[in-house]
This record gives sequence, C-alpha cells and structure tokens, in this order.
Amino acid sequence: MKRRLTNIVLSASIAVTYMKARLRQTLVATVGVAFGITVFIFMVSFIQGTNEYTQDVVFQQSPHLRLYNEVQLADQSLLDRHFPGDVNLVHHQKPKDILLNLKDVNQVLDILQADRRVQAASGAVTTQVFFRLGSSSLNGKINGIDPGMEDKLFDLSGKVIEGSYSEISVKTNSILMGVGLARQLNVKTGDQVLITTEKGGNFPVIVAGIFKTGLTDIDKLQCYASIKTVQKLLGVPASYLTEVKVKLFDKELAPEMSRELQARYNYQGSDWKKDNASLLEGDVLRRMIVYGVAGTILLVAGFGIFNILTMMIYEKMKEIAILKATGFSDSDVRGIFLTQALVIGAVGAVMGLVFGFLISYAVSKVPFHSDVMITLDHLPVSFKLVYYVTGFTFGILTTALSGYLPSRKAAKMDPISILRG
Amino acid sequence: MNLLEVANLNKYFSEPVRNQVLNNVGFQVEAGEFVAITGKSGSGKSTLLYLLSTMDTDFDGSIRINGEQMKGKTNRWLAAFRNRHIGFVFQFHYLLPEFTSLENVMLPARKLGAFPADRIEQRAMDLLRLLDVDSQATKRAALLSGGQQQRVAIARALINDPLIVMGDEPTGNLDSANSATVFNLFRELAKERQQTVLVVTHDDDFARRADRRIHMADGKIVEG
Repeated sequence: MKRRLTNIVLSASIAVTYMKARLRQTLVATVGVAFGITVFIFMVSFIQGTNEYTQDVVFQQSPHLRLYNEVQLADQSLLDRHFPGDVNLVHHQKPKDILLNLKDVNQVLDILQADRRVQAASGAVTTQVFFRLGSSSLNGKINGIDPGMEDKLFDLSGKVIEGSYSEISVKTNSILMGVGLARQLNVKTGDQVLITTEKGGNFPVIVAGIFKTGLTDIDKLQCYASIKTVQKLLGVPASYLTEVKVKLFDKELAPEMSRELQARYNYQGSDWKKDNASLLEGDVLRRMIVYGVAGTILLVAGFGIFNILTMMIYEKMKEIAILKATGFSDSDVRGIFLTQALVIGAVGAVMGLVFGFLISYAVSKVPFHSDVMITLDHLPVSFKLVYYVTGFTFGILTTALSGYLPSRKAAKMDPISILRG
Repeated sequence: MNLLEVANLNKYFSEPVRNQVLNNVGFQVEAGEFVAITGKSGSGKSTLLYLLSTMDTDFDGSIRINGEQMKGKTNRWLAAFRNRHIGFVFQFHYLLPEFTSLENVMLPARKLGAFPADRIEQRAMDLLRLLDVDSQATKRAALLSGGQQQRVAIARALINDPLIVMGDEPTGNLDSANSATVFNLFRELAKERQQTVLVVTHDDDFARRADRRIHMADGKIVEG
C-alpha cells in the first residue's frame, strides 16, 4: 500500500517535471479544457435559468392539478341500452344538456384540504362572457374565485398593479380585470363595464382593480371576481362550482393524484405536465443543445490533449526506454502520462467552473426588461450545484479518455528497439 | 555459486525474415566476475545482453539470475527485479534531460523506495563524488558534456547496489582517458564489491583486460 503510494508520487513528480518543461503547451491544453467547461456552465446556467423562469411564470398561473367537467357525448345511446346486441343507428346525436358543475364539490374540497399532500385547494366557477363598453364588445372569461384561497395558490394579490385585491371579496359586482383587456376596453379602476353572459343576461360591474401576470393569454382575456358574483351572473345556486384547482407540496405527484381523484369522484382532470407538455418538451430540447455544444468544445480540447501527449511520447521515446530499463514497469510509465492528462483535466475543469460561475454571476446582474416577462428585471440565471458537478465530471472524463490512448502507447513501447537504435 | 546461468538459449527474429540470432547459447558467470562479450556486429552479442537485462522476454531456453528463473515472469515483476538487481549503462548515456544529474541518479532508488529521500540523496551524492562529477549535481543533465553524462549514467546504474552491472558499449562514445576511468571503476566494482560486471564491447584492449572474455560469432559462443 505504502509502496503503491510512493510509486504514484514518483510518477506524478516525473509528470510534473515534464509539464514544467512544456509549460506553454500544457497551458494551452488546460485553457482549452477550461474554455469548454466555462461555456458549458454558462450556457446550462443561463438556459436553465430561462427555463425555470418561464416555468415559474406559467406554473404560478396554473395549478398543479385541475378537476372539471366537460360536455361529453354519451358513448351508449338509449337504443343500445334497450336492444343490446342489435345494430342501432342514431344519426347526428346531440350532446346532452348537462350542468357543468362538479357534484358534491364542497365535500371534495374539504377532503382535499385535509389531504397531507395538498398545499391548497380552491374551487372556482368559470364562464365565457362578453365585456361591453360603449360600442366595443370583447369576448373574455370571468373566473369566480375564493380570493383568500386563490391568493395562496397563485399569489394573485402580488400581480395587482392598480386598485385593490381585497375589494372583490367585499363588494359584489366588482371585478379584477387583466391589463390587456382593460387597455382594449379603455377602462381604469372605478369604471363601470357591462357584462353579457352566454344566456343573454346583462350585468353592470365595477372594475375594482387591474392585474398583470405577464402571460398574454391571461392578461388579455380574463377577469376575476368572487364566486358569489359569478354565480349571480349565471343564476346558479351557491354549490355550483365548475373547477377545483389544487396546489401540491410535491408537484411531481400531480399526474398520479389526478388519476386517483378522477377515478374516485368521476370528474375530468388534468395536471401541469399535461397542460404544459410543449413547454416542457422545449426545455428538454434546449438542454440537449447545451450538452451538444459543450460536448463539441470538450471534444476539441480532448484532441488537443491527445496531440500534446502523442507528440511528447514520440519525443521522449528514449527516456521512456531508460525509465523501463531502470525498473519502471509498463503501468508506471502509463501513470506518468495519464497523470499529465488528468492534471490538465482537473486544473482546466476547476478553472472552467470558476470562470463559468463568474460569467454566469455577471450575466445574472445584467438588467433586462421585457413587456412579456414583466416580473423580470435581470437576466434569469440558475445556480445549481449539479451543473458544476456535471461539468467537472465531464471535463475529467474527456481528458482521461484522450490521455488514455497515448499513455497506453507509451506503456506498450518496446525499450529494446529504441535502445539498440 | 553461479550468479548467472544461461542454458539452451535460442532467439529468433521474425522481421524481415525469420532467422536465428542466438543458437543454443549456454554459460555461467560467478559473482564478482568481470566479463566482456565481444564479437562482430550481427554476431548476437547485443541481443544476448538485452535478453540478460530482462527487457527482452521473447526467447526459448532458460536464464537464471541469482537463482531466479526469468522466463515467464510478468512485466511488473521483471521491472521490479531490474530495478533492484540490475544496473544498466548504455553507449549513448541516455539521461533524462529535464532532470538534474542528482535527480537522474536518484530516480531508480526512489522507484525502489527502500530508503528515505535524504538517505537516497546522500548516497547519490557519494556516487557522483566517486565518479568525480559531484560539481555537476544540480545542473540539468542536458547541459553536461558527453563524458560527464556517461559518468552520471554509471552512478545511476550503481545507486541500488545491483548484483549485476551491464553495459552496452559503455566506453564506445568516450575518449581514451574517460574509457580508462570507466574500465578501472568496473574493475573495482567486481573486485571490491563482488558485483558482477557484464560488458558488450568492440574494444579489444578493454576485453583483453577483463577477467573473462566471451567471444561470439553467428549466434554461438566460440570462445569463453
């Protein structure tokens, strides 16, 4: 054991002497590795930061899982039930006129709120309406919510840029309007708007405030009001809720829980992964690009190391023969050259991590303002230990691989053919 | 006791065509003998030396050094054996140019790892002094003259107190004064330290003054 250690130390000291003798080339190779790792760290931090930011914006507005009812065609007609086995043809079957509300929703909400996996659960009633002011008439959606619960779920009060959030819970017939919608209707806080429901009823409401989420789809189409207000618009009883939104402690559990709840309560359901499938797919693709670019750079750096070591081995053939003649075994010789590759790799990787962090940190301080991403004031950068661990492993692996082949060549070299000339 | 026993040694080269370089060679050398191997070029004398050095493992027959059979041992075992028991001196000195003279001499001892660094350094300095190159100890090997390099190389061969010192034309590149120094040193090693010296040489004068001369021709020992 001790013998092994002295051998390693000896090989390493020879390796260091060789590297010192070729300081410039060694530095170039090290910088190559460092550059690859720097680019990797920076790109992965920046792209992941952006991914996480967009995900945050979207997920803040979308619950982890939703339960709702949908108009569905009966898959069995009355005839089928009555004459099973016969060929029954029913043309142009119309959807059944059903209420879109969720059955026994208040009990379900109570049960969900008691569930240990659930952070918050909130019922809502949603309907399509027209907003009218003077001659302009815009299509939109009005969400009846429990203001306290909804705030817990989506931090809605933080997105109100004008007026007051709490007002909708105390004042009936008051709404919070999306900033895009308000601009199109040209209304401000305190203005009155006429709402037409799909059944044809007209209701005047007061704009109690204006919110901005940063998501155009929501800001241009949606309004919030208390559940009671919307139930009054629709002319439905107090138990009428069309949607349950749930926030979990661990969002990864959402798909599984969604299936479980759909089966138990006979509701339709969806989870954040299903709702944002294209967004998540985009993240995966972007990450693949990062690994591709970093891999290419490291490949080039690896070729640099391969070249340097191969040249060094040709130059040092005589010395390798001498080392073998004086009692260094094949594996000792391999160790000498492999050590050089690993030192270059380790130093390069650490330098890369440091520079990568510094560049990422600098970029995260660059001010960035966007109309779409309104909560953003600096470029989004993600700092996670796992990128640095991956980068380091990546660097060491590439250099070890590119050092291995020349080292093996040195180990296999026949000393006699060299010594005899 | 015989330090070196060679029996039925056959060696073939397969490139460019298969031909036999050593033909049934066998001899014994006692501890403390100073042996010169001579012969025309192509007679197989260098091939024999490299087989005895344990670096060439491709042969038929038997080589025993200090009672140990060299045939069929692993590379690691042979390297360790060389390190401990064989000192090698080459015609073209072959030092590691990036290292100082002292470091060159110390290297085999550091590989052996039997003594702490300060004792190795002490011993290396003693050897350099013995060979009268101690003033060059901290110079890089590349900066030394040919004769100085060869003496440093001899010091390196002696650092682990080997049983056998082997030389491939160790004086081939030296002037007569330096040759004489090297010859006297080998003589002294054999006589006083009972170290076996085995030298391949072209130099008839050198060979004549050795204890024993093995003359080779066409892969066979014809004398000695």
